[in-house]
Amino acid sequence: MAETLQNLALGFSVALSPPVLLYAFVGCVVGTLVGVLPGVGPLAGISLLLPATFGLNATNAIVMLAGIYYGAMYGGSTTSILMRIPGEAASVMTCIDGYAMARKGRAGAALAIAAIGSFIAGTVSVVALMLLAPPLAILALRFGPPEYFALLLLGLLVLAYMSGGSMVKSLAMAVLGLLLGMVGIDQMSGYFRFAYGIVELGDGIGVVPLAVGLFGIAEVLATAGQETPPEVLKPRLRELLPSRREWRDSVMPIGRGTVLGFVIGIIPGSAHIIASFVSYALERRLSRRPEEFGRGAVAGVAGPESANNAATSGAFVPMLALGVPSGPIPAVMLAALMVHGVAPGPLLIKQSPELFWGFIASMYVGNLMLLALNLPMVGLFVNVLRAPYSFLYPAIIMFCVVGVYAVNGSVVDVWIALLMGALGYLLRKLGFETAPIVLGAILAPMIELALRQSLAMSDGQYGIFLSRPIAGSLLASGALLVLLNLLSWMARGLDWRRRLALTEKGENL
Amino acid sequence: MTQLRVALAILSLGGVALGQSAAAQEPYPSRPITVVAPFPPGGVADLTARPVGAAMEKALRQPVGVVNKTGAAGAVGMQFVATSKPDGYTLLLALSSISIIPEADKLFGRPPAFTVDQFAPIALISADPTVLVVRAESPWKTAREFIEDARKRPGQISYSSSGIYGTLHMATELLSHAAGINLRHVPYPGAGPALTAVLGGHVDALASGPAVVLPHIKAGKLRALAGWGERRVAALPDVPTFKELGYPEAEFYIWAGLFAPRGTPEPVLQKLRDALRVAVNDPEFKSAMDKLQTPVAFKQGEEFQKFFEADARRLAEGVRKVGRIEQK
Repeated sequence: MAETLQNLALGFSVALSPPVLLYAFVGCVVGTLVGVLPGVGPLAGISLLLPATFGLNATNAIVMLAGIYYGAMYGGSTTSILMRIPGEAASVMTCIDGYAMARKGRAGAALAIAAIGSFIAGTVSVVALMLLAPPLAILALRFGPPEYFALLLLGLLVLAYMSGGSMVKSLAMAVLGLLLGMVGIDQMSGYFRFAYGIVELGDGIGVVPLAVGLFGIAEVLATAGQETPPEVLKPRLRELLPSRREWRDSVMPIGRGTVLGFVIGIIPGSAHIIASFVSYALERRLSRRPEEFGRGAVAGVAGPESANNAATSGAFVPMLALGVPSGPIPAVMLAALMVHGVAPGPLLIKQSPELFWGFIASMYVGNLMLLALNLPMVGLFVNVLRAPYSFLYPAIIMFCVVGVYAVNGSVVDVWIALLMGALGYLLRKLGFETAPIVLGAILAPMIELALRQSLAMSDGQYGIFLSRPIAGSLLASGALLVLLNLLSWMARGLDWRRRLALTEKGENL
Repeated sequence: MTQLRVALAILSLGGVALGQSAAAQEPYPSRPITVVAPFPPGGVADLTARPVGAAMEKALRQPVGVVNKTGAAGAVGMQFVATSKPDGYTLLLALSSISIIPEADKLFGRPPAFTVDQFAPIALISADPTVLVVRAESPWKTAREFIEDARKRPGQISYSSSGIYGTLHMATELLSHAAGINLRHVPYPGAGPALTAVLGGHVDALASGPAVVLPHIKAGKLRALAGWGERRVAALPDVPTFKELGYPEAEFYIWAGLFAPRGTPEPVLQKLRDALRVAVNDPEFKSAMDKLQTPVAFKQGEEFQKFFEADARRLAEGVRKVGRIEQK
């Protein structure tokens, strides 16, 4: 412990030196910006700034790039809450309840909770990163394709908790999402699937155009199509802060989201996205008022927003302790280290203690900066909602199109977003929830690859999923979850889902 | 991600819109250049493209952005460049797989994603032999032991690769063919995940560029058994080559070269070649490649053409020998 404190003191002496402080700040600001811009996510932001870091030293470079990564997790919630456009993929879940809160006049509270949850998750998970990185990294390596498959299968179960109302409808949407996720090149054989000669479809349907279309554009269309336009919101200053009840409802979700996000974040893959999904499902499962989810439950913002932040720290575990990438973003950061002659590997912490500890300390500082940056902005951002719809909506459409185009520079993506916008409008009119589509489309390619890699590993033997301890226990807990639900369904017959369906019917009458 | 276009989008949002309409009359280069790396960040293509891009930027006085356009072992990015406008603003940093993919397409009797003659070679930047690594705890101490064991247990020893018909896949398959062994292939999306898989013990072996595995070898996590080069890898003087061990057919280099789409005007190509010559002598570029532990092997013009063709022949032959890989 004494040694850790000593190391941390060294870290802070690095992190608080003016240049490191400056680059951490620049990273946090850029991260917040790429988070706020719809479509453009942390990967784009980091790739954009990577060449600029060539001239810096390794510590400055890595501190700045990390700032972009976790800064984007703060910024990502803003447009999700205000306009129902996910600022980046990990904020998809926030679109649901965050936006619903905004419609109820609680935008300020939602933004504040998102920022505070992110801060708590960011800070606590850095403590975990600092104390547990080497042992946890070993655990991360044990996650191979079979384990990942089992985890993703659990993720699929999450779909069942995605929406209220009709289970059949939400599963139908999930299947549509899974089908959309099948588009693209087959990773195992190189064949093009459902691409119809459009090269851009070879990479599949991107999450960003899909989510921006189904959420952002569909929302604009749906609202514009109402006979009486909704009242323009006039947020008042005292409504900016979360109420006592909102605080109470957020504490546990933030705590759980932090733990969950960190643990899932360690696992190689696009973990911060999955972490936010699983957190949402967990909160809804544990909530005493699950029917409030989808209609502005503060826990539906607090949980996922904390989880995606904690997951960024988790992702640094295998990166720093072992020098292996846990996803595309850590891979770019590893490249940045190599470019500076720091060989990322198992000896990194020993060979470059000032880099490792400086990095850790800068994350404490960075999270404070982000909180100081984001909380005062709440009051400013909320004013966006004061704009009359005739000005606000064209602007939203423009931001959607620009954001979607910017991700891959692809006009095809823009068309996908527009088509998905139309589809989302149609589906909403028919009473379908669109969130399961996005979830399905994100999970499908990951599940497929993990399944087929596992089978390649085992020479086609399905036993590999049961014989490996982690995969086996994940699958067993999934089976247990299904069984418990079946039992309670048989026993009670009338769960919250049914009650919700009944109330919804009552409202529609 | 196309950071360049992101940059453009952000710039134009800020009001610094670039007049692109007059591009035809402008001297080359008059706007930012994109170098497509067809593999994910952190891989060899990406790590070479970035310092090359940075050095070219200085020589050409225009921003040079690196874009990772990934998928199907690089086919997506290569096809993208093959079909993009031959104006010198979209370039490709290709690895050996540029010669493999059209051959694999031919094998499957499908319309090729692209063909090699859709590209105009500009320069070879590096050529690094792959090395065979296994985990330090694994039973094989030498390449001979590995090959013998693989012979006894056909299809039981597994290896990861950066993708089907990708460089790392082909290197291993060339060895399999030369040594008469049969290994089990588990493709991963990119070299980074493939390395993680061997470190985590999910596969037994990996053919990898030396630079990315060196720290793990030094840390005692991985063991290098043999290299695919004509000569031993400088950083691994104790590791023999397959040639020394009697498998001369197992020769493979992960080379990185810069290409433009065919049809790019000769003056533009000349300008690029000149810029490349300046770029590889740039001290920052040199120190960058040193840090990456990747020796520069600069070739251009006739010399590169010859290397490229010889390598393509070897790989085409390799693909044909390997044949259609059955999918489970």
